[in-house]
Amino acid sequence: MVTVDGLKPKAVEKPKTVEELAGCLSEASRAGQAVIPIGGGRALGMGDPPARFDLALVTTGLDRIVEVSPEDLTATVQAGVTLEALQAELGKARQFLPLDPFASPGHTIGGLLATAWSGPLRQRYGTPREFLVGLQVALPDGRLARSGGKVVKNVSGYDLNKLHFGALGSLGVITEASFKVFPRPLFEETVEASEPQLTDAWREARRALDLKLPPVALELVREPDRHRLVARFAGSEDGVRRMVRELVWAPVGEADFWQQHSRRRAGRWLRVAVPPEALRDVLQSLPEAASWWAHPGVGVVHWVDFESAQVAAVRAAAEDAGGSAVLLAAPSALKSELGAWGRQPATIDLMRRVKRAFDPAGTLSPGRYLV
Amino acid sequence: MGLGPRTLEKLCRAVGRDHVVWDAYDLVIFERDASIAGALPDAIVYPANVEEVAAVLEIAAEQQLPVVPRGAGTGLSGGAVTLRGGLALSLARLRRIIEIDPKRRTALVEPGVVNYDLGLEAARHGLFYAPDPSSQKACTIGGNAAENSGGPHCLYYGVTTNHILGMEVVLSDGSVHWVGGEDPDRPGLDLLGLLVGSEGTLAVTTKLLVKLLPTPEAVSTLMAAFPSIESASKAVSDVIGHGIVPAALEMMDKVTIGAVEAHYKAGYPTSAGAVLLVEVDGLTESARELTAAIEQILETDDAFEIRVAEDPAERELLWAGRKGAIGALGHIKPNYYLHDGVVPRTKLPEVLRDVGRIGEHYRLPVANVFHAGDGNLHPNILFDLREKGIMKKVEKAGEEMLRACIDAGGTLSGEHGIGLEKNAFMPWIFGPDDLAAMQAVKDVLDPSGRLNPGKIFPPAGQIEPKLIARSGVASEARWW
Repeated sequence: MVTVDGLKPKAVEKPKTVEELAGCLSEASRAGQAVIPIGGGRALGMGDPPARFDLALVTTGLDRIVEVSPEDLTATVQAGVTLEALQAELGKARQFLPLDPFASPGHTIGGLLATAWSGPLRQRYGTPREFLVGLQVALPDGRLARSGGKVVKNVSGYDLNKLHFGALGSLGVITEASFKVFPRPLFEETVEASEPQLTDAWREARRALDLKLPPVALELVREPDRHRLVARFAGSEDGVRRMVRELVWAPVGEADFWQQHSRRRAGRWLRVAVPPEALRDVLQSLPEAASWWAHPGVGVVHWVDFESAQVAAVRAAAEDAGGSAVLLAAPSALKSELGAWGRQPATIDLMRRVKRAFDPAGTLSPGRYLV
Repeated sequence: MGLGPRTLEKLCRAVGRDHVVWDAYDLVIFERDASIAGALPDAIVYPANVEEVAAVLEIAAEQQLPVVPRGAGTGLSGGAVTLRGGLALSLARLRRIIEIDPKRRTALVEPGVVNYDLGLEAARHGLFYAPDPSSQKACTIGGNAAENSGGPHCLYYGVTTNHILGMEVVLSDGSVHWVGGEDPDRPGLDLLGLLVGSEGTLAVTTKLLVKLLPTPEAVSTLMAAFPSIESASKAVSDVIGHGIVPAALEMMDKVTIGAVEAHYKAGYPTSAGAVLLVEVDGLTESARELTAAIEQILETDDAFEIRVAEDPAERELLWAGRKGAIGALGHIKPNYYLHDGVVPRTKLPEVLRDVGRIGEHYRLPVANVFHAGDGNLHPNILFDLREKGIMKKVEKAGEEMLRACIDAGGTLSGEHGIGLEKNAFMPWIFGPDDLAAMQAVKDVLDPSGRLNPGKIFPPAGQIEPKLIARSGVASEARWW
């Protein structure tokens, strides 16, 4: 049974077609119900506890890979397709979606877009915000609205893709998405370094990031007695080898490091995101025994298994540094107490007006998102 | 129509008497941008800073005046045309590069900064700003953000929206907001992503925080000549199909090559049916390896001449031909109409054939010079405006070319915007529900609809009059 923050819905629908999904949604909306769209359920810990929860609208029935066009480097899939299913299809032509979210496997494409979850590869490729080229979204009144298209370059009409990306399904339910995809790198190599002191680890991270070909992913992982740095290089073989030589780190310990890393998840999970230059200070403000991993080149640290009393100070430090600290998972009581999102953005009024325009009845995930 | 003396007085008080223009003769300068349509504003205002921009927008709100923000006026879809009169809001005086932070690799600039000038400034720190529209020596960062501009190197590096971190914007009610910022994963709706590419219809930008990238270690540029467009198109697909995404992958057809060679002597073989310009960058080894791999693919695909630029001067020359191509077309006809459709890369050969056929049908020469790697076509219809009744034919031919792009699964614009040039065609790609969602956003941010009215959304009634119908011969004569 699906629950969100311990709340059970009165009904669960798992439509098989986009039209059916839009129908369920508009019917629920007309009846004044509260609907929470659910994909793979990997990121359900996000958001404040819902104010109401009548209908769980499960998208995993929309599991069709609509179109993969390797020569065009594009792919279109329904929202319920899992990331693994899409990668398998793209892999046939040695292509991939450069997305390696934590709490894998099992994410759906719709869920990943709604939550804006990503992983270490964002160092090089950014989040899907940068390679999402088209969306179809079901609006609460049952209309289906498209934005963007299927081609890699497009400035026709407003870029509503960006509005829905990361909006936690608060403006509409994503039903289909088109991406620009990427060729698999010709050659890859992962190396690591280990430093007892954060200062030294940070210096090494800087060295890696300042290379002429920076790593496509760079992770700084806090382990009980050390700071472990793992860098993934990709490109031409000669070039990658030179970077690795310049860095003088050791080959990575585990052959499947990145896969294991992407499986990380926790019941108490805070994502701190600050301007990259401010990340070091934030890391230093974390408790000595804290368990965390960070993207030093991006400005993000994932802090897990924290004590409730420790969160407020770290969030304040992150916000003072011009960033945020968002609870990706936490006991409902803690989320209610501290709020999942932290300080409201200065433009919250504009955002609320946008929300009202899309979802005037407050059908979608009431109470969970900022707007 | 004209503005009342009280409104003019208020505007003068807001930005200074010298920075308001309403003399009928002077207004003509702002009648058009680089597109084919034009209309006169009632006044031009030149604010100097965000406070003055806000003051102008407040006055406009009070008087219910349309406001059209304007950068350098190089836009090709009519984005800066004051279709309903009102105020042309020039951002030319907001032209400071406020700060370049080499450590953070960011630049904070005002919207009137010229794209090329930002590049020069960034280069002093070993950095560059990636989006490089062909008009980059004139066009502004603010205008680029409004149109979400592209350029040859966007194939690898992405378009403008991928390079803007934050903006200070003024809404039509005069309120000032910051959207976006340097921190990733910002909670809340991505208003920044919405505003970039909104063509001045949602907000006026007064500051931009942009990403800069480190200059690559090596750059390798090669020119390849092909017997035909078909063989060159196949080569484009094959390069991409081999898992190579070059920094840039540009194509020019026979007509363009002839014009370019007459003017720039860039070294493109005039016997070629098409020329590809390919650039790869990165590490020295990677650039070398990729160049060799690309050369091999191009040879297999019937390239009859391949030249790798030996030094920066030769590279500059190869690019000068491409970037100056449109100007060089003046050797053939005095006027051009440049279109901007996008198709899936694999559909390039068939759509280019259609484009050629349409040109022949209307007896209009067509020069193709475009971002082949992205599937972003730029057919230039060449004509002489003095020829009677020619505009009708040009517009009709352009419309049919766009239709061919859409029929091939493409879109209306890859980087120039919809503006008033293509708004009537929006229903070709977006249904009423799609457009209603966009309109909902417009109604939230600009409820009175006074910011750049008549753009993007299809006109409710009849199609807006284009050049010929409206201005008559006198204004045509001014055009060139």
